[in-house]
Amino acid sequence: MTNTSMTTREKVEHSMKRRRAAESRFRLYGMASVLFGLLCLVVLFGDILSKGGSAFTQTFIETEIQLDGDYLGLDASSSDQDVRNANFSGLVKKHFRAMVNPDGRKERRQLYSLISAGAAWQLQSEVIADRSLIGSSLRIDLLADDDVDQWFKHDRGHEGEHSRLSELQLQWLNTWVDEGALKTRFNTRFFTNGDSREPELAGIHGAIKGTFLTLLVTFLLSFPIGVAAAIYLEEFAPKNKITEFVEININNLAAVPSITFGLLGLAIFINIFGVARSTPLVGGLVLTLMTLPTIIISGRAAIKAVPPSIREAAFGLGASKMQVVFHHVLPLALPGMLTGTIIGMAQALGETAPLLMIGMVAFVVDVPGFINDPSTVLPVQIFLWSDSPERAFTERTSGAIIVLLGFLIVMNTAAVMLRRRLERRW
Amino acid sequence: MDMNFNQHISGQFNADLEAIRNHMMGMGGLVERQVANAVEAICSGDTRIADDVIRREDEVDQMEVAIDHECTQILVRRQPAASDLRMVLAVSRVVRDLERIGDEASKIAIHTLEVSDNASSHLCQQAMRYMGAEVVKMISGALDAFARHDVDGAVEVVRTDKRVDQQYASALRELITYMMEDPRSIGQAINILWILRAIERIGDHARNISEQVIYLVSGTDVRHSSLTEIEEKAATKE
Amino acid sequence: MSIIENHQTHGAPFSDSPKLTARNVGVYYGDKQAIFDVSLDIGANEVIALIGPSGCGKSTFLRCLNRMNDTIDICRVTGDIELDKENIYDPKMDVVPLRARVGMVFQKPNPFPKSIYDNIAYGPRIHGLAHSRVELDEIVEKSLQRAGLWSEVKDRLHAPGTGLSGGQQQRLCIARTIAVDPEVILMDEPCSALDPIATAKIEELIDELRENYTIAIVTHSMQQAARVSQRTAYFHLGQLIEVNPTDQVFTTPEHALTEAYITGRFG
Repeated sequence: MTNTSMTTREKVEHSMKRRRAAESRFRLYGMASVLFGLLCLVVLFGDILSKGGSAFTQTFIETEIQLDGDYLGLDASSSDQDVRNANFSGLVKKHFRAMVNPDGRKERRQLYSLISAGAAWQLQSEVIADRSLIGSSLRIDLLADDDVDQWFKHDRGHEGEHSRLSELQLQWLNTWVDEGALKTRFNTRFFTNGDSREPELAGIHGAIKGTFLTLLVTFLLSFPIGVAAAIYLEEFAPKNKITEFVEININNLAAVPSITFGLLGLAIFINIFGVARSTPLVGGLVLTLMTLPTIIISGRAAIKAVPPSIREAAFGLGASKMQVVFHHVLPLALPGMLTGTIIGMAQALGETAPLLMIGMVAFVVDVPGFINDPSTVLPVQIFLWSDSPERAFTERTSGAIIVLLGFLIVMNTAAVMLRRRLERRW
Repeated sequence: MDMNFNQHISGQFNADLEAIRNHMMGMGGLVERQVANAVEAICSGDTRIADDVIRREDEVDQMEVAIDHECTQILVRRQPAASDLRMVLAVSRVVRDLERIGDEASKIAIHTLEVSDNASSHLCQQAMRYMGAEVVKMISGALDAFARHDVDGAVEVVRTDKRVDQQYASALRELITYMMEDPRSIGQAINILWILRAIERIGDHARNISEQVIYLVSGTDVRHSSLTEIEEKAATKE
Repeated sequence: MSIIENHQTHGAPFSDSPKLTARNVGVYYGDKQAIFDVSLDIGANEVIALIGPSGCGKSTFLRCLNRMNDTIDICRVTGDIELDKENIYDPKMDVVPLRARVGMVFQKPNPFPKSIYDNIAYGPRIHGLAHSRVELDEIVEKSLQRAGLWSEVKDRLHAPGTGLSGGQQQRLCIARTIAVDPEVILMDEPCSALDPIATAKIEELIDELRENYTIAIVTHSMQQAARVSQRTAYFHLGQLIEVNPTDQVFTTPEHALTEAYITGRFG
């Protein structure tokens, strides 16, 4: 004992200073790290939102176009097939030529490149919907090209050398701006279209549907298999070397890099079983492999968390093993299992690497109808777009990321709410 | 397992049990002296000793109340079981017997004062002296047996009581003879009778105390049993 | 190794009208022996209290009587335990009907996280004791009445059982056990989590149940053992030291270990 001159109380007082300092220091570290994390999050979200927010609007050119029946070779009795074959593209070109009178082939090309290829399809679908439009003049917002879109949304007012638009094009555009013909509207195509080479036509509908189908396959396979495996391992499996080995490997599986699962899927599902590549089916199979360990581990934890007293009570009344598990353990463990499953699914939702290996990275324009149609998924779509050179795709990449994050937040919130709702206190 | 089973986990419990036992022994010592003094007073006719015995009777009563209170405290606080329970019960019963012995001693002293005025105080002197000495020995024997948990000693006290009873019976016959011979001595004889009766009662109480020793040690309740029964029971439990 | 070599149980471990008879029972957890050569009868319609210091094996022994130890993989039981002359460790004996005949009440009240009604009805349902809703209602009411809980819960039978107070929960658990009409009820420290009033109610209940059931109760409270039981068995480090009528155990125990334990000289 040192400091024998001090009383115990004085010693305590003395040490309190140090302890308080250590405590406040630790609190400071904690706050700093939380702040740092928050800051990163804010920067990330800020960046994505500022870049991606504009993906949800699209520039249109408002104009009044004469649907000339003679030029199109159509009349009120034309069939849908005739309408599809009609030269709407030429009509659009003719209409704009008449507006600005370009001089020569070069200028004409410059003019045409301001209008999206989608403009002709807009007119086409209007006519298919209503044949009486033929011969009349139609006031319509026609899709502008992605370069126009970018210029109108971002560069107007401070033209730089980086603009892909020529002096002449800018001159036309400025006239239209002055006339009030150029305007932005909510970009519904982003949500209703599949992928496209033209940014203004590209949408995430195909990717979302692909994601949905893939996750559906994943859920339908991994939930029952995972729950069954968790129940068997926790309740029925004899405790021996083999089950121990299985348990260790399930835990290891959870840590395997996801691209490995992609390779596995390629080798087994595609090469051996001949499942069609690029489909939600094979994607779902691969993601099932990936999410199974998560579901099994969380399922076992949920089963373990069921108080033994409940089990004892049921056994004490003469319930059989099956009855104990299905009447008591499972209902109590289900919220935990579902939460684990949703988290596993959220993980699968964000997965890209394994899907690259099984061909889901292909450029797919059509929206998949069923699990055996070629498709892509959101994260892969993001990956694809982030690779594209057009500026408008950068914007759409961020837009798609916002949608993906939205889904993740919804799923995680669902997990939390589900747990709150279903969890019983005992 | 080397555990000391003589000690309770609670030291205070040990101390409490020790205290009632010691207080009871203290009371026993006082009562024993009271009886010895009372007997001394009859034999010597010394009224000062008799007065002293009567005066100290109060002290005995106080002790009974105090020890009984301690016993109650232990019952309430410790809920004693087995040997502890028997100890508390035995002490409580022994204390009551001791108090009665104290009463008898003061009765003897009171009658001694009455007898001392009279001439024929030599009546049954021998028997009184002898029986008095016997019961004093019985009291100390019973208390010793209690202190030592000695069943044999206790049985010996019961045996002595039987002898005292026989002496009492013969002294009674002697007194009756006196009374028939000389009716004038009846008043005196009745006083003597009371004294003899008190001494005999003291013997009974001493016997009760030894019965509690047997209960304390073996757990057998031998109250209201004959000597042979007591001897048998004591032998089987040993 | 056992603590006392060649120990013979003191007192009267056997009964004239035994319901359960245990002979030379040993219990092992893996290599460790927890119970040594215990022979004990539990008489019909008696309450027998099993007491002893922690880890003495009284709960382990109790759990042998309805084979609850089966749920522990490494647990092994030797010797014979017979219920009405039937060996319960016979390979042909099914534990499910056995546990319906030998019910159990646990230390911590453990109602299922279901309604009061469903708690009671669970046993009769799985064993198929009721053929109609009306019959089931009757069983529930009768069980709750026997457990002295009916008047307290009859208006909220469909409220969760976990919402009751601790004492009520424990009586609910007893009612749940009674509902399958067992012959023997094993109680493993049923009052250790309860306050004195709830404890008194349970003890009162045990006294009433004795008419129809045979009860074995493990308890840490010697006063409780003294209050509710007719016979008391003292276990020490896996051995059955002494079995005697309760009043005798608590006034004049035969064995020095019993004496030392109940007088608080160790434990």
